[in-house]
Amino acid sequence: MSPAHARGVRRRRRPALPGWMAGLALAAGTGTPALADWDDDPWADDPWEEEEQWLPFEVDGFVELAGGHHVRDNRLLDKDYNLAEARLRLEARGDWRRFDLRVRGDAVADQVTEEVRGELREARVAFPLGQRLDMRVGRQVLAWGTGDLLFINDLFPKDFNSFLTGRDEDYLQGPSDAVRGTWYGDNVTLDLVWTPVFEPDDYPDGERLSFFGPESGSRTVDAPRTDDPDTFPDDGELAARLTHRIGSAELAGYFYRGFFPQPEQRLNDRVTHARLNAYGASVRDRIGPGIANAEVGYYDSVDNRDGERSDKVPNSEARLLLGYTWEAVTNLDVGLQYYLEWLQNYDELEAAWAGQNLDSDRLPEEYRQVVTTRLTYSMWRDNLTWSLFAFYSPDDADYYLRPSVRYRASDALTYSLGGNLFGGDNEHTFYGQFERDSNVYARVRYRF
Amino acid sequence: MDRTLHSPKECTPAANLRRRGRNALLTTLLLAFPGLGALAAETPEVGEIVERANLAAYYAGEDGRSEARMRIVDERDRTQTRQFTILRRDIEDGGDQQYLVVFSRPSEFRNVVFLVEKHPGGDDDRWLYLPDQDLERRIAPGDKRTSFVGSHVFYEDVSGRHLEDDDHELVEVTDDHYKVRSTPRDGGNVEFAAYTTWIDRETHLPLTTEYEDDDGTVYRRIESSDVEEIDGYPTAMRMRVEDERMGGHTEVQFRGQEYDLGLPESVFTQRSLRNPPRDWLRR
Repeated sequence: MSPAHARGVRRRRRPALPGWMAGLALAAGTGTPALADWDDDPWADDPWEEEEQWLPFEVDGFVELAGGHHVRDNRLLDKDYNLAEARLRLEARGDWRRFDLRVRGDAVADQVTEEVRGELREARVAFPLGQRLDMRVGRQVLAWGTGDLLFINDLFPKDFNSFLTGRDEDYLQGPSDAVRGTWYGDNVTLDLVWTPVFEPDDYPDGERLSFFGPESGSRTVDAPRTDDPDTFPDDGELAARLTHRIGSAELAGYFYRGFFPQPEQRLNDRVTHARLNAYGASVRDRIGPGIANAEVGYYDSVDNRDGERSDKVPNSEARLLLGYTWEAVTNLDVGLQYYLEWLQNYDELEAAWAGQNLDSDRLPEEYRQVVTTRLTYSMWRDNLTWSLFAFYSPDDADYYLRPSVRYRASDALTYSLGGNLFGGDNEHTFYGQFERDSNVYARVRYRF
Repeated sequence: MDRTLHSPKECTPAANLRRRGRNALLTTLLLAFPGLGALAAETPEVGEIVERANLAAYYAGEDGRSEARMRIVDERDRTQTRQFTILRRDIEDGGDQQYLVVFSRPSEFRNVVFLVEKHPGGDDDRWLYLPDQDLERRIAPGDKRTSFVGSHVFYEDVSGRHLEDDDHELVEVTDDHYKVRSTPRDGGNVEFAAYTTWIDRETHLPLTTEYEDDDGTVYRRIESSDVEEIDGYPTAMRMRVEDERMGGHTEVQFRGQEYDLGLPESVFTQRSLRNPPRDWLRR
């Protein structure tokens, strides 16, 4: 059908319209139509998305340039930037019978580490087994829990080097090589994730970010030698979640068996990941104008249950998170969170520090609280988004601010500007140690 | 449904006068053209009109499936595109409903899934699934009259505004349309002061809706067109939203519309966020 013909049809189909518009304009007292006349868009010839694919799978991706410069002098690092890279993302998806395949990978030219590398973020196949079981096998990104940038029962690998230097928030979730099965019952859903070999966090190790070294008692870029548990299958991870809905409330119970995501267990001159079992629960529901969530977790440090080995092995912890998110004003979303880490067997920890003559000022707090706020303001139909995420810990007296602004110039082109601003009274606290790594960054992404 | 919908304004003398005037005209017509008797049914109450319009626009059949694409044009004539498939299932006509919206373009939105459990008279439950992060985000219920995926269409335009959120008044009956003016019961919640809907008398479809501000100036208009009868249900295959405050407009085209597919309830669960129900999404 030609556009002209389509216009003709449309005109016939709404004969009364000009009359109403004139009548309305008169009624409104304006004398002229309130809005401009509508031309018919000649859209009929434009094809719908990929009517016929020339490949048996879909391919897309993006190229991105990103740079982040220190805002403070960091003499420990030989570069005054911690983000400088060009990135090509390719993603391919296809399906064959009941199998759904997806591969995502990045090629990165990285000036900070002075290398070109490939990063395979996803390479997995998903398929159903029977009526109630969905399987997902291969490299995949995994996430659960109710926190916003705070994680209790989500013990899947996190990439802090990306997160703290200004890459897209997506990159905080690191990939796992895992088998995931999700069973959908009548009232409950059970997720089981088996990671055959433990996948640790990507944590600051002096290459991109300096950090506080407990041994040296100062900020450092020299990471202690780390032994990652990597024996198959003994050093695997098992994570489970059971979810249930009561009305609009989503309840979940969690279990994890594996290792602390960061190497905190000391073995002579090396460090390794301590054994961890974790148990938790969460609830999420709408309350009033917003969404409320609560989550608890208990980290059972298997090799230091009674605190007797607090000199070498991390203590058990109880964690709590409360959150509420709502649209405070049109297009302004506000999210608030309260988070608590409660170290168990604290007396034993104190004694262990005294026994080693460690600086008691650096003894971790028994209760570490963090409050966060997320403010997001959208303009121009979400094409311009202002955001500020702030972490603040009154116990550690430190903070981490993540201001950003994102401009979506088109479906293809997105510009982002932002900062990672750390500070605190001490250089041994969680956010305070990165004070001299604070940066401002810019990214340009072109999607295809 | 909710009988309180009948606006008290309908009892004003002016309204009575309008109604009498119309009846006189109808009588004249009937005398002149006896064959028109079938059309001379009593003008229904406004509550019935908006209820029928709501059913025609959002509740056709027991369930439905539709492919949609949007062309978003900003005030500087730059365009963006969205394409998605909508699955809908009614639990009760005029009552609870479920929606599943699965995006296919642009690449940034591909496989993003939006799940809605609509509860007229209460708060809706809404989830957004972001596949790159494997993240199931829940959307606050207050957040309804903001841009749906960057378009001029609001979330509320996709799944329908609750009838009981407004007082409705029948202001005019023309040969083809009922003209209904609606004012929000809680004006603090919405960006408009009132809106007027032209409802087709034959199909009951709301064809034009105009939103006005406190001064009575129209700043936003939704127009549905290209009505076709599909599986016995009149269906608007095209929609256009123009918003002066936002600048620009969004044009929506539908295709592949089908009704009464027998969509099972299991399609509208969290399972579909991670694994969109391909068999139902494809024609």
